Amino acid sequence: MISFDRAQQKIALSLFVVALVATLLLALMDKATHEPIAEAERAALHKSLVQVLPEYKNDPLHDMFEFPLSTAQTLKVYPSRDKEGKVIAYAWEQIAPDGYSGSIRILMGVRVSGEIVAIRVTSHKETPGLGDGITKDEKWLNSFVDKTLKNTKWFVKKDGGDFDQFTGATVTPRAVVKAVQQGLTMYQTNQNALLKAFNEAQEKIMQADIKAAGDKQTEKKSGGKTQ
Amino acid sequence: MTPSNENGLSKQEIFADGFWHNNTIFAQLLGMCPLLGVTTSAENGFWMGFATLCVLVGSNLIVSVVRDYIPSEVRIPAYIVIIASLVTVVDLSMNAWMHDMYLVLGLFIPLIVVNCAILGRAEAFASKNSISDSFMDAVGMGFGFIFALVLLGAVREIFGQGQLFGFAIFGSDYPDVLMFILPPGAFIALGFILAGVNLLNLRLKAKKEAEAAAVTDESVVAS
Repeated sequence: MISFDRAQQKIALSLFVVALVATLLLALMDKATHEPIAEAERAALHKSLVQVLPEYKNDPLHDMFEFPLSTAQTLKVYPSRDKEGKVIAYAWEQIAPDGYSGSIRILMGVRVSGEIVAIRVTSHKETPGLGDGITKDEKWLNSFVDKTLKNTKWFVKKDGGDFDQFTGATVTPRAVVKAVQQGLTMYQTNQNALLKAFNEAQEKIMQADIKAAGDKQTEKKSGGKTQ
Repeated sequence: MTPSNENGLSKQEIFADGFWHNNTIFAQLLGMCPLLGVTTSAENGFWMGFATLCVLVGSNLIVSVVRDYIPSEVRIPAYIVIIASLVTVVDLSMNAWMHDMYLVLGLFIPLIVVNCAILGRAEAFASKNSISDSFMDAVGMGFGFIFALVLLGAVREIFGQGQLFGFAIFGSDYPDVLMFILPPGAFIALGFILAGVNLLNLRLKAKKEAEAAAVTDESVVAS
């Protein structure tokens, strides 16, 4: 039988108490920040959505639907609709895996006709002051506006294409250009499937909304969180 | 003010020691990872320094409160748990309420845990001194750290992009000097700043000695 003397007991007890208090603090903090973090992320997404979608009359976040790209991968698509509820553009996140340091996430808005409305970079780890021009350089970001697969050479100028590279940073814009082109190709091949998925999802959303409204009336509680 | 800590320093002396004489960056050369990593602009430097200040004040306060209850054999793991928890609190708070800055500083916030300056203050100061002295030490060290980060960030932003806190100061046709934005620029700028600080300290020391010499001369004449 192993026995511990008083000093050893004190050591174990003090570490236990420190760890316990720290765990409690972190649990509380996690609970307190859970909602604000989700809210901040929604706000950031909304801020980018406003920039990449033409004037929508709906709530693209609410009308979001998941589109199965392959068996393993689904894409979250945010539709933009006009007054009559017709889809005029889609926005989705395209990932460039080959940035200078890690992946670059790009939110791209594309009209139903296949032209780019605008693109915005939502997260990246590129070198500050060099590659991060992709978030700040408005002239460069605007050079994507109205581009289609046909009217544009999808390379940076160094590679004989239509897009500027930055001084000291070619890898970053090259990765973004490639990813946006892939996004457009994806749209072209899946155009009809996308519309079908949108219509199917829309029915589900509407049913859920009706159900939520009904629940609200009967229970007087807001249980209407639709995904 | 009555000296209450083991070195017999007043609150002002503790602050001055942390802010200048024993500055984390200029004198101890600690915390180089965030220093070189995020100081591409003055604003980034400030918020990184501010996050570190929060952790430093919290850890110094808690450590000086619990110092008598933690057996010395396990004090280091206990301090690390305290510091890591505080860093997580700051990390979550910034993610929730300063989302834009959180995206910029990203990885460097969790890395405050391994900033040896913080464990260093907990071990070298807070574990031996009163709560109020430890608080003052953390405030002095923290503001000294902010000062160093903002100074280096400002130098790199001015020379690298011709801006300060995002405002153009050399006009829009300033040719960006990329080297200052890249890591080598951080080392070079830091080297020049350290040289400047040392020069200033030498001047101050010489002046003090000259004054002291003048006083002794007078006393010799008087006797």
